Amino acid sequence: MSGDTATVPIAPRGSSYALQQLTRAFSANATSWIGLVIFLLVVALALLAPLISPYDPLDQDILARLQGPSAAHWFGTDSYGRDILSRLLWGARLSLVISTVSILAAVVIGGAIGILAGYVGGRFDMVVMQAMDVLLSFPSLIMGLMVVAMLGASMGNLMIAIALTAIAPFARIARAPTILVKERDYIEACRALGYSDLRIMTIHILPNIVAEILVMASLWLATAIRIEASLSFIGLGVRPPTATWGGMIREGFENILDSVSLSIFPSLAILLVVFSLNMLGDGLRDAIDPKMRGGE
Amino acid sequence: MSAAGPPRGANHAPSGGVGVPSSAGEPILAVENLVTAFRTGGGWHPAVRDVSFAVQHNETLAIVGESGCGKSVTALSIMGLVPPANGRVAGGHIRFAGRDLAALGEEEMRKIRGDRISMIFQEPMTSLNPVLTIGFQVAEALQYHRDMGRREAAAAALELLDQVKIPSARQRFADYPHQFSGGMRQRVMIAMALACRPELLLADEPTTALDVTIQAEVLALLAELKAAYGMAMVFITHNLGVVASIADRVAAMYAGEIVEIAPVNELFARPTHPYTELLLRSIPRVDRDTVSLAAIAGQVPAIGAMPSGCRFAPRCPLREPVCTERDPPLVPLRDAPDHQVRCWLRAPPGGGGHA
Repeated sequence: MSGDTATVPIAPRGSSYALQQLTRAFSANATSWIGLVIFLLVVALALLAPLISPYDPLDQDILARLQGPSAAHWFGTDSYGRDILSRLLWGARLSLVISTVSILAAVVIGGAIGILAGYVGGRFDMVVMQAMDVLLSFPSLIMGLMVVAMLGASMGNLMIAIALTAIAPFARIARAPTILVKERDYIEACRALGYSDLRIMTIHILPNIVAEILVMASLWLATAIRIEASLSFIGLGVRPPTATWGGMIREGFENILDSVSLSIFPSLAILLVVFSLNMLGDGLRDAIDPKMRGGE
Repeated sequence: MSAAGPPRGANHAPSGGVGVPSSAGEPILAVENLVTAFRTGGGWHPAVRDVSFAVQHNETLAIVGESGCGKSVTALSIMGLVPPANGRVAGGHIRFAGRDLAALGEEEMRKIRGDRISMIFQEPMTSLNPVLTIGFQVAEALQYHRDMGRREAAAAALELLDQVKIPSARQRFADYPHQFSGGMRQRVMIAMALACRPELLLADEPTTALDVTIQAEVLALLAELKAAYGMAMVFITHNLGVVASIADRVAAMYAGEIVEIAPVNELFARPTHPYTELLLRSIPRVDRDTVSLAAIAGQVPAIGAMPSGCRFAPRCPLREPVCTERDPPLVPLRDAPDHQVRCWLRAPPGGGGHA
């Protein structure tokens, strides 16, 4: 700790210790670094899409339809003569936004449900977790179909469908460590200090389980990108002509006999991102493995 | 944090302020006929039965007894922390500063806990949250109960850490519990418990987990802070040496009942209940050649299998037929009204006594 603090240090709010521990263990793991670097690269490319994409993703060139890779169009063109590279870069933004927002929503809602169920326990826990099991029994595609059938196809509804799929797993991942932590002496000490249940859950339990949730979130981010692609592929996602990776694969599928590049490049992009997030998640999971936290 | 609510300053100095002012002589805590029961094997069994005692301002009452005698349950009952799933305060009153805590709702009780009544626990190693800094945890009670801002609370917390004699508290303010030793952690626990200047401190074996030299330091610290703050203290321990050094009065508990209660010097000079006597005799002494330790034969009866009559009778060397037939009452000795004993033979009701 710093030797000469001139002022009273301000108390941190929460999870810094858990995160410190996570980053320390994480930095020793090469695979997770590779995953992180690839993922950040994709994020950077997506952010820079307006600056670096060679063409407007919606510009059609009927004379240059379904071309293979060339100097003018590195990844070729689609059936309307649009530049595939440009559409990939712009599509990355949408795919990342959709997956991030939906997983964030699932983390917040599912995490809150899991902590509450684990903390309250008893019959409440039983009923809530059974409701989660019901939610869990719908495969993501069926969930997507139901949401779209009820609310219509749009980007927002796509996010709702993905979030609904992911809430139950996050509720489970938050509940299990909550049940362990709430029996610790320091939670009893919190009660003896008169703290409210809400305060105990948010300030004393949450930082203890945040690492587990983060690992799960990185793995589910990859899943969300996959679900988005699948739903867009069957036409339940973002409406054309907006570029999304899943939508591009669908268009490529329709023209696969004339040109394979429209199918291959978006598929490779999805593969790359899912792969990098899984490496990242695996690294994080190793980092919070109980044997690494033994010295606590 | 800064939401309204009346400013709370010295609103519970022992005399006056908000609430019922307690007149001199009225105890800060009066436990009357407390019964706390737990559900085991389908039935409710009292773990604490008909316990009554009072603690005056500035007084330290020690509760002694073997493990499983109901000492901690008594403290948890006062705090309103009996686990609701399988335990409950089944009877009696807990009067604190004129209010019956046993009748208060959870919300009102929460305002009292940590603010006017605090508790420190046996296990300093596990009683601090490992992911929050020491400074944050001490400041938190002040933020919570006193609506202090973060800066103000941090400054007050630093002062508290100095008061409990954490060396270079300013540098260690942002440290995490695992960077502290057991004794230092117990000091932090004390700082947290005393943050809001409670009128009553319940200390549940606060030194049991510490090694002997640290025990002495922590006891001295508690005694010093108690005097400085003018607190009353209920000190739970099974260590009679600790009792001698810290208590004003002593209550000996056995199987959920108080079997003897007396001023500390009186109790050590004249232990009257056979259990207390044996308890005192079982202290190892450094000034005598001891070959074997004196132990009390047998064990505390299980909660669901209490003997009828005097609960100590099965282990008592003085046992007479009357002991297993009827419950003895807690009665004062004839020549010492503040020395009460629950024993048919040593303190027969309506006379006699142990003169």
